[in-house]
Amino acid sequence: MSTTVLSASGGDPVAPHAAPASKRDLWIVFWIFPIFFGLFGVIFVLLARVIPPPRPDVTTDQKVQWFAAHATTIQIGFAAVCVVFGGAAIANGYVAYQMKRMSSGPTFAYAYMGSMAVGTLPGLMLVALCFLAATLRPGRQPRIIALLYDLGMLSFNGSLGCFATGYLAFAIAILYDKNAIFPKWLAYVSIWQIVTEVIATQMWVSSAGPYSWNGSIAFWLAVIVFGFWLNCQGICLKLATDRQPAGSRPLD
Amino acid sequence: MTITEPQQPKTDLPGDGHMWFMVLGDLIIFGAYFIVYMVQRAMAPAAYLQAQQHLSITIGVLNTLVLLTSSWFVAQAVRATATADYERAIRLICGGGACGVLFIAIKAYEWTTKITHGYTTSNEFFMFYYMLTGVHVFHVALGILILGIVVRELRNTRRRRLSMVEQGATYWHMVDLLWLVIFGLLYVMR
Amino acid sequence: MTTAARSITYAWIVLCAITIGSWWLAPGHSTHAATPSVAITTAVVLLGFVKGRLVIQYFMAVNTAPRWLKLATDAWLFTLWAAVLAIYLY
Repeated sequence: MSTTVLSASGGDPVAPHAAPASKRDLWIVFWIFPIFFGLFGVIFVLLARVIPPPRPDVTTDQKVQWFAAHATTIQIGFAAVCVVFGGAAIANGYVAYQMKRMSSGPTFAYAYMGSMAVGTLPGLMLVALCFLAATLRPGRQPRIIALLYDLGMLSFNGSLGCFATGYLAFAIAILYDKNAIFPKWLAYVSIWQIVTEVIATQMWVSSAGPYSWNGSIAFWLAVIVFGFWLNCQGICLKLATDRQPAGSRPLD
Repeated sequence: MTITEPQQPKTDLPGDGHMWFMVLGDLIIFGAYFIVYMVQRAMAPAAYLQAQQHLSITIGVLNTLVLLTSSWFVAQAVRATATADYERAIRLICGGGACGVLFIAIKAYEWTTKITHGYTTSNEFFMFYYMLTGVHVFHVALGILILGIVVRELRNTRRRRLSMVEQGATYWHMVDLLWLVIFGLLYVMR
Repeated sequence: MTTAARSITYAWIVLCAITIGSWWLAPGHSTHAATPSVAITTAVVLLGFVKGRLVIQYFMAVNTAPRWLKLATDAWLFTLWAAVLAIYLY
């Protein structure tokens, strides 16, 4: 592989006959985004069974039975989460990297990165740890298992405020960006995300009906919009990577 | 009547495609909320109707008239911008924004009276009432911010793009449109 | 005043008139317990459709917009209000 000679000012490829800089590093990082979120989908939907979530309006015995019924897949799924969840940091970090190329400044990128990082603890790890703990030690008291059920689900669905903050930074950054790193419509989809997630906070109030954590409004509408938004963000991330001039670096 | 417009009907897209994408998506999402509301209502119609009676139709009508008037201001502002009457356009946008502020004030008053009377989210109808009007009032607040950006655009003698004013207007009319549905479903229908 | 500006004002007048008329239909208006009414609800649905269309066509200037937008907004209006009425009548 050829080397790129840098000029004294730094960052500018000098020799015109040198081979163009490679974007291989960008592509490696980019692919972690769809791979991680693909795994996330498989784990959270098929293995851990928290998307769609089990019902809040059940008795302690029913909660214990639910864990017993799904113990194996929960253990496989969430143990896998403990190994791969670093992918979330890289995926979101790459979005932040692209945001730093925007003319709207690096502040929004850091805000996004911070919100995603903080949100990952309640929004991803806590349900994994609570549910794993609930499936281990068979002799545990039912009321403790019931507590882990509630704690896992409430943190998973109730931590959306953190992500909403990140999405707000994302949306504002896009709308003020003159470099058109991401298209404006993605900012608008992000705003829908924020609105549906803020409405989903009503799950703290209702244990049944459309506003409960498995309800048509607090859950289904929110997760459909989230799925749509995530795919849009992934596609726009790929387009941004395509269009990034090789060898260029974001402003700092 | 003087013919000030060309005979050939123009088919311009007001604003730009991005804003219409936002508006249509928002209408679809709200549409989903309205459908869920109707389904839930159909499961307990008597309870919902009884709760609906506690809403003041006078306040509802007042709020609707205020928002319709704000849309009149904003729509006229777009026409003023198109005929380069920028000073008038700014005044009209401010009128629309003032109506928006009035709407929020009336809504705040309405919420206060409802809460002090004890109608809170424990009642299913009122859960929807607070949620729908709450999300709507958030959109109104955002709309006022957007109108502010439009005024800034109009004040900048180097910009004054019609497309920007149209985009802001499109968003504002969407807010009005959504309120008309909320008014019909929550305040009037039985 | 151009024709566009004039039709905005006419639309506003009609919208306000319909709104004030709704005052008599509402359940919160009656002093006794409100009763469900298919006729009133159907009227609300139709008026809602008409009002929505006025706002879209005249305020949002969709009446001079490309055909795809006219179709999309009409489709939204129709689907929403038809669904509302259908669920109510079911």
